[in-house]
Amino acid sequence: MEKTHTPKKVFVDGPISPQFISDSIAKHQSKTNIGAHSLFLGQIRADQKDGGVVTGIEYTAYTEMAEKVFHDIREAAFAKFDLVCMHIYHSLGLVPTGEVSLFVFVSSAHRRASFEALEYVVEEIKAKVPIFGKELIGETGEYTWKENK
Amino acid sequence: MTISILYFGMLAEATGHPSETWEATDPLSVGQLREQLLQKYPVLRDRKFQLAVNQQIADSAMPINTNAEVALLPPFAGG
Repeated sequence: MEKTHTPKKVFVDGPISPQFISDSIAKHQSKTNIGAHSLFLGQIRADQKDGGVVTGIEYTAYTEMAEKVFHDIREAAFAKFDLVCMHIYHSLGLVPTGEVSLFVFVSSAHRRASFEALEYVVEEIKAKVPIFGKELIGETGEYTWKENK
Repeated sequence: MTISILYFGMLAEATGHPSETWEATDPLSVGQLREQLLQKYPVLRDRKFQLAVNQQIADSAMPINTNAEVALLPPFAGG
């Protein structure tokens, strides 16, 4: 029987602040069985589009399904890799250019598991979680819908 | 039978609403519902979307039961 983990709150309103990220790191100082942390921070790019530059992304989600999928991704990552703990945070609402909208934080005893798990979790999130993004362009109210490649 | 349909992102914009109650014949497969949706909303014909039934991605053969929650999901953009 696999160890199961209780569902955790993933969504946060607006950008994920550097303070939130550093507090999250600090909370792990007491977990002395950890020898390696890997972090991924997804940041909003100022892409050039027809009609102007991207100024931010407004995220929405099918939240009930998204929370289930995040939970399944966590469970699968714990089953696949030798991890001590994992945290995933994703923004909803407006995240301006240059700010962080995705924070994935995996910890393990040794580096290899955290490197591999981090890539796995980020790719799974991009492919499977029903999150939608409106890329706001310029100052005129124009936008396009983002699509993960 | 009655099912509820949810539209997300660009699809809510294209259909003009985020959700609706749908009266459907029983039995109904995901593929049949997709056809009916395209008839009601021709604008969906040139949009990419997946269907989720009760919060699980569904293939076209899957049957839909009464009171199901069916969601139309445009391409994902998380991260």
